[in-house]
Amino acid sequence: MRVKTRAPLAVALAVITGLVAACGGDEGAATESSAQAKACGPDGEYVIGMSQANNAEPYRERMNDDIRTAAEAVPQFQVEFADAAQDNAKQVSDVENFLTQQIDLLIISPNEAAPLTAVVKKAYDQKIPVIVLDRKVEGDAYTTFIGADNLEIGKQAGQYVAEELLPDGGSVVEIKGLPGSTPAQERSDGFKEGIAGNPAVKISATGVGDWLRDKGQQQAEAILQAEDDVDVVYSHNDPMAEGAYLAADAAGRLDGLEIIGIDALPIPAGGIKAVEEGRLSATFTYPTGGKEAVEAAKKLLIDCAELPKEQILETQRITEENAADVYSELNRR
Amino acid sequence: MIEQQAQESPAAAGRPSPGALPHGRREWIDFVFRFQSLFGLLAVFIAAIAFSPVRNGELLFLTTENLANVVRSVSEIGIIAVGMTFVILVAGIDLSVGAVVGLAASGVAVLMMERDMGVAPAVAIVLAIGLAFGAVQGLISTRLGIQSFIVTLAGLQVARGLARIWSDGQGVPLAYGDGPDLAPEAFSVLNERLLGGLLPVPALIFLTVGAIAIFVLRRTTFARHVYAIGGNERAARLSGVPVARVKVAVFAIAGMLAALAGIIHAGQLNQGSPNDGAGYELDAIAAVVIGGTSLMGGRGTVAGTLAGALLLGILNNVLALNNVDANVQLLIKGLVIVAAAALLSLRGRDD
Repeated sequence: MRVKTRAPLAVALAVITGLVAACGGDEGAATESSAQAKACGPDGEYVIGMSQANNAEPYRERMNDDIRTAAEAVPQFQVEFADAAQDNAKQVSDVENFLTQQIDLLIISPNEAAPLTAVVKKAYDQKIPVIVLDRKVEGDAYTTFIGADNLEIGKQAGQYVAEELLPDGGSVVEIKGLPGSTPAQERSDGFKEGIAGNPAVKISATGVGDWLRDKGQQQAEAILQAEDDVDVVYSHNDPMAEGAYLAADAAGRLDGLEIIGIDALPIPAGGIKAVEEGRLSATFTYPTGGKEAVEAAKKLLIDCAELPKEQILETQRITEENAADVYSELNRR
Repeated sequence: MIEQQAQESPAAAGRPSPGALPHGRREWIDFVFRFQSLFGLLAVFIAAIAFSPVRNGELLFLTTENLANVVRSVSEIGIIAVGMTFVILVAGIDLSVGAVVGLAASGVAVLMMERDMGVAPAVAIVLAIGLAFGAVQGLISTRLGIQSFIVTLAGLQVARGLARIWSDGQGVPLAYGDGPDLAPEAFSVLNERLLGGLLPVPALIFLTVGAIAIFVLRRTTFARHVYAIGGNERAARLSGVPVARVKVAVFAIAGMLAALAGIIHAGQLNQGSPNDGAGYELDAIAAVVIGGTSLMGGRGTVAGTLAGALLLGILNNVLALNNVDANVQLLIKGLVIVAAAALLSLRGRDD
């Protein structure tokens, strides 16, 4: 009995160990060469790995498209995309696999900051340039960060509520994004700063929608059931805001309710259209930074230039006054 | 007659005489089927080599770093799958393990960061919670006669709720150091790779758990009882097997191993979040099924589960190294699971 069950196991292990021993020895040489600075210049061909947090979010799909479009114009670049589907452990594996493929540059939009910091540092320590997009990691083991200022956006949203929507005070419900991601923390903190000037404006309830429309809808449903008096829904992004709209509509609470979101994607299903069509009272543009990331990659890999540690992108408030104009302007590009 | 049924390992049917290699086509087919998980693992391993991208004259798949990554990436699911094997062997199922991972991850983070506990007490408490949680599910299932599917489905919700209450609905990032709001440095050992990068610590824990489980399920009376209950519960009960006690024990094991996976998860990601582990129960069940364990109970091995987990890890790896589209990856993985289950059912018909 023992001989029977152990034989195939032993054979399998022997084959595997033999192969590893035969070929694993080269690994030392590989780390050596990758520990030196990566070559740069216009003559090389470069493979860029883009580790995305969640392709299922429209904002991130747009980010991928922006990167793809910008990279097509650069013949030396080949971009490979990986999707973590909101799973931190998967994103760590995604980056590890990119490192195994010996990519020349990493662009990453981390799902959450703490879990991805170590693996990004690993890439950075291997002298691979790292561009962090839209969401931050902890510490400073990366080449450059590109994104809009979420604290500023939150503050502008708060000021809009405190000064224009509810000058005489009122109650706000906040629907937050994925808690471990920096935009969620910053948009929340910024908002509190923005409403601080008007003590009559209070945040009466918060829910966590994880950036997703269906979760935003669920949370809004529950909160509207529990709270009688809701004047404004402040959602950290447009999909969750749309979810809140659906919840309010189903509960018959749309009358007098103002809903604001963030992202303002210039697509038919995006926030700008939602403002035009009256579902949202306002939204704020949150550029994906995809085009800027490829620009930065060009500077690093082809021009062999250095980059500042962060590149902050501009934001703009969208209300029914400027929605149509901004939509056509952003789509003309 | 009943005694013989209860004590004989069901895999004995159709097995050639001990010590002799299979001869004859029928026996070779049985041989392959019996070790389908190991042959499957070997096949996927060879396919991975065949499809491995080459850079600077070396096969990327076979680099030490990559193989270590693969084993590391399946460690958590692997540990959960070992516990799940015990449960499925008695014809049960445990859908709560993913949520227990979240409970354990956020719990161990809260205990170290907010209650200033050392590694040993925090880990011990969380493992005990996993054990107790599983045992309670086992008790409810056996005492009230409710199917484990339902009990553990409810347990999934309860564990998530407990995790969110314990951590206030937030993830708890781990920062290491000596102060009151910092976690002990010792916990960060879960991020290290021993033997010059060859053996990540989570992989070491996974292989150790696997080895212990293989031993337990081969040599102990407990193992005979487990297989007996899975093979024919009524017969087992009639021949004196303490069915209820064994069932509670297997659920307790599954809960404790899920908690262990959660602790490792928090260590590897430097964060414990109550939503961690979502969907892990399905990955664990996939590993167990691919490993040749029947969902009807009574047939299967931990070695098979280990092979199943490694197979899935290698599959993920070779697809990722070739940058296969994410949606196509899902398709392929689904097909592999169905193929493994189909092979299992074919084998069942032969028996």
